[in-house]
Amino acid sequence: MSKKQKPSVDSVSIVMLGVVLVAIAFMLIIFQPNMQAFTLNTDSSAMSQLLVAFITGVTTGGLSCLAVQGGLLASSLAHQIEQDYVEHTVQSKKEKVKTNLRTNSALPIFLFLVAKLITYTLLGALLGWLGSYLTLSPMTRAFLLIAIGIFMIGNAMRMFNVHPIFRYFSIEPPKFITRYIRRTAKGTDTVTPLFLGALTVFIPCGITQAMMATALGTGSVVMGAALMFAFTLGTSPVFFLVAYLTTELGARLEKFFMRFVAVLVLIFGFVTLDGGLNLIGSPLSFQNLTRNLFLSTNESASAVESSESFVSQGELVLNVENSGYFPGTLKAPAGKELKLNLITNETYSCARDFVIPALDFYELLPDTGTVQVNIPAQKAGSTLFFTCSMGMYTGQIVFE
Amino acid sequence: MIKKTFRVEDMHCTNCAMKLESIEDSLEGVKEVNASYHRLEMIVVFDETQVNEDQIIAAAKKKGYQAVLV
Repeated sequence: MSKKQKPSVDSVSIVMLGVVLVAIAFMLIIFQPNMQAFTLNTDSSAMSQLLVAFITGVTTGGLSCLAVQGGLLASSLAHQIEQDYVEHTVQSKKEKVKTNLRTNSALPIFLFLVAKLITYTLLGALLGWLGSYLTLSPMTRAFLLIAIGIFMIGNAMRMFNVHPIFRYFSIEPPKFITRYIRRTAKGTDTVTPLFLGALTVFIPCGITQAMMATALGTGSVVMGAALMFAFTLGTSPVFFLVAYLTTELGARLEKFFMRFVAVLVLIFGFVTLDGGLNLIGSPLSFQNLTRNLFLSTNESASAVESSESFVSQGELVLNVENSGYFPGTLKAPAGKELKLNLITNETYSCARDFVIPALDFYELLPDTGTVQVNIPAQKAGSTLFFTCSMGMYTGQIVFE
Repeated sequence: MIKKTFRVEDMHCTNCAMKLESIEDSLEGVKEVNASYHRLEMIVVFDETQVNEDQIIAAAKKKGYQAVLV
């Protein structure tokens, strides 16, 4: 016995979604915080930020999103394929059915991803607009990264079935949303996957949430939208591939693939956590712990040499390059005020976003130029850690 | 209408909970299913004149899960 199915997408919901989006558009126009928020900074820095967002999407975002939304999508599409299969079995011979099924599974996934792309771009615009009112400090971002890192590690542990407690690291969406998504997923028309893709905006993964925070930090409607567009576009190939494989190749491969995803989520979880620890200047971050272990005597000597001549004048020099900070370790005399010269030369990576957590110093350096930072006298044996605002590139000043 | 709790040990993601909840769409007499992956259980509200516990367990099995009445 089966109940009569509800219509796949109810038109009232679509109209309401449209009304909400139009209302957001009006709000953006009427309550403009400043006109700068609507302009896209087309310099190389903005372009490199978009490239980083895209690469993050391709490498980590797609897999991380899959850990949260993948099962939902695969199951919904599998149901659709199953329905197609039943219909075609009645009408056609087996060989023909197989061919038809392959064609059918690709289109809904594609439509799903198009809707996801559009919705997240709109979300990026909204966040960028909100961000023009508030700015995330490096410390806030650090705690956000640490929280996301812990969330991802917990999620990986859950996927490995390490302990029942890790089940709580998965987000259970509110019942009314899952019920609505489930019933919507049952339709086989083209509008259904579009609508379903749009609904994923309510269940973002850890990396997506981090990217949303970055979009918030841009303080620009266009940049926020472009950032989320680039990121979501990056996640799409992985999403498409896995969704296609899971619906086409069945549960056995899905299980194997989810283990692979769990390993990657675990790695990225540690990387994210490490970034957060770098950003609060913790000596316990992986990079800060291992730097001294792997620093050879020669490198150590060159670090001293490069800065010695300047130290005599109470000045240190740090080259801020696209690939990080050089030298990675600066040595300086203790108990003496110093000036740290940060030199950039066509530097467009996030290394420009320079942070010294212990001094609460944060500045976006010019792509080419010199910025001087006053370093107060430090105790002998102490270390000042510095990092980029994403916690990716790091270095230290050791006081002797 | 009565409400019964079933233990489902073999749920392994929130999507499993969603699959189990779809029983409310397919089994006549079931008014509501609230499944939780966190608690590994599903609470079913049903009309005992139309459907019984065994049918609900069978419906869960059809979805790939072993439900046990608590």
